Amino acid sequence: MAATQAGPISRESDRSLKSKFPELNVLIALVVIVATFEILGRVFMGDSFLFNTRTDVTGLFNEQRLQIIILQVSIVGIIAVGVTQVIISGGIDLSSGSVVGATAMIAMSFAQVSMVNGSPNPTAVFKGTEWLDLPVLVPLIIALGCGIIAGVTNGALVAYTRIPPFIATLGMMVTARGISKWITKGKPISFPTEAYTKIGSGMMPVVIFISIAILFHLIMTYTKYGKHSYAIGSNEEAARVSGIKVENHRILVYTIAACLAALAAVVVSSKNLTAQSGMGVMYELDAIAMAVIGGVSLSGGRGSIIGTVLGALIFGVIISGFTFMRLDAYYQEMVKGVIIVGAVVLDQWRQRSRSLRG
Amino acid sequence: MKKYAFVAAVAVTAIMSSSAMAAKIGVSMAKFDDNFLTVLRNGMIAQAKGMSGVELQVEDAGNDVAKQLDQIKNFIASGVDAIIVNPVDTSATQAMTDAAAAGKKPLVYVNRQPINVDTLPANQAFVASNEADSGTLETKEVCRIFKAAGKKEANVYVIMGELSNQAAVQRTKDIEEVIATPDCNFIKIIDKQTSNWNRDEAQNLMTNWLSTGKKFDGVIANNDESAIGAIQALKAAKVDLKTVVVGGVDATQDALASMKGGDLAVTVFQDAAGQGAGALDAALKLAKGEKVDRKVYVPFKLVTPANMNDFIKKN
Repeated sequence: MAATQAGPISRESDRSLKSKFPELNVLIALVVIVATFEILGRVFMGDSFLFNTRTDVTGLFNEQRLQIIILQVSIVGIIAVGVTQVIISGGIDLSSGSVVGATAMIAMSFAQVSMVNGSPNPTAVFKGTEWLDLPVLVPLIIALGCGIIAGVTNGALVAYTRIPPFIATLGMMVTARGISKWITKGKPISFPTEAYTKIGSGMMPVVIFISIAILFHLIMTYTKYGKHSYAIGSNEEAARVSGIKVENHRILVYTIAACLAALAAVVVSSKNLTAQSGMGVMYELDAIAMAVIGGVSLSGGRGSIIGTVLGALIFGVIISGFTFMRLDAYYQEMVKGVIIVGAVVLDQWRQRSRSLRG
Repeated sequence: MKKYAFVAAVAVTAIMSSSAMAAKIGVSMAKFDDNFLTVLRNGMIAQAKGMSGVELQVEDAGNDVAKQLDQIKNFIASGVDAIIVNPVDTSATQAMTDAAAAGKKPLVYVNRQPINVDTLPANQAFVASNEADSGTLETKEVCRIFKAAGKKEANVYVIMGELSNQAAVQRTKDIEEVIATPDCNFIKIIDKQTSNWNRDEAQNLMTNWLSTGKKFDGVIANNDESAIGAIQALKAAKVDLKTVVVGGVDATQDALASMKGGDLAVTVFQDAAGQGAGALDAALKLAKGEKVDRKVYVPFKLVTPANMNDFIKKN
């Protein structure tokens, strides 16, 4: 209420760096965490977290570490870009990890080679050779199809049956995981074609993640689609009254999210040269955590793609930092959980103090 | 005890009187759609086909504890000579043991260790592979390769499976025990972390380890998927795989292909078909009134480039 009373004056005076760049807090958190690992590393490990201390490689920074920090979160990051849009528009998507599993299994079935080291592919799904060594476009189109089917189903369930998105996408989560196990009765599908392996090799996952993030940052900031997403997430009724076709928009948002999950499936199966029924387990929760750490509000209407990318980087820094510190594996998950909750608690305090200040 | 002795005596006379009688064995599998259990089941069936007069009745419990107990009771009612159970839930086996004991039928558990394994009656047994062997075989072979290369000291990374999983805990313990022996104590563990059995996580973990720039000689993983993940990370970082010994466990198709390509040095094969055949063997012996050890272990087998071709068709 204070905000409305203060009116345009406060908005005028609040044109500080913070209001132009609301992700500043997340960026500060990222810097603080990096600095913490740098100091802990110097004190306890006698080594630098960020800077190069090796004699066999050149360069100021430890490039290999900088690369893995972002590489290891790129695949979940692609999903997080989609999940961010779903959450901003007032929904939630629990199905992305399972959609990754099912899509990876289905797409990889069409990306297999016929011969491995001179003997027939032992994991070939299709017996006939006409289904092997297909052009790379075939698995890509099939993956896209999987994404569209999963996304339209999620979106239509949420928009028309009015069941809560948590339940609708929970249903998809269980069903899609079932599909991924059923296809080969749990057996892995391995040995993709040369062209397919290129998609996720080296730093390609990072290139794809960053391109997707920039694309959707522009879309969310400058297009009608983006503005409608924020409007529906802030106040669905107001959005409806102002003429936004809420149902259609929801289907579109969930479809984009599922297609990004399908893209992540292609990248992860290509990177690992295999598709397995357990692929993508927990990805949905990691993606949601990245968004929330990045300042996306679970109640909808607030957040940004930039925030989510920063959230993903915080995740990556934590994983690499733990390994760098050789923290006991049994402690890692506990600490990770504390950091996720801590980040959101801090964000809530920041929100409250900002709204109190007006 | 007297009662059991009497029963055994009756059973023995029954067998004696009808020599080479047809043995009917009831088999209840936890589920049919599991890859490993399917190989086990087929191993059992193949073994039975090779014998004259052995008839198997194999049923799918569909991962349902109650259904499995019903199947056992039905086997008893229909007068089988012995029962083989691959338990759905290893903590629910007491009821199965009681049912078989009440029906005076021999019972053999296969692959999954029942919770009451140490209190099984004399005509019941457990057939599986001893989990403590897999990590031991793997680490001893890595140790042997280091020695053959003339290494006086060696540093390794250990990739663990899911921290809550018994096999992961056991295999990690095996690794630590082997490198504590005077024979292999030149090996030092730099760090051990989990990949949750997962190739992608293992790949990321290995790259994180590589970014520390520390020299190492080997990677000992709890499973093949993690070993392959490490290999992919090493390849991406252009590390010469001739300088690093990588070991796994499972002998999966992917692992054997990797070994054929010259990357994976060691893996360990769990003999599913052997377990199936072993369970049938034990059941037939018990049906005849012969003695069987309470725990029958089918050995794990070490797989190296020298013998890998024997395993390609097995899993």
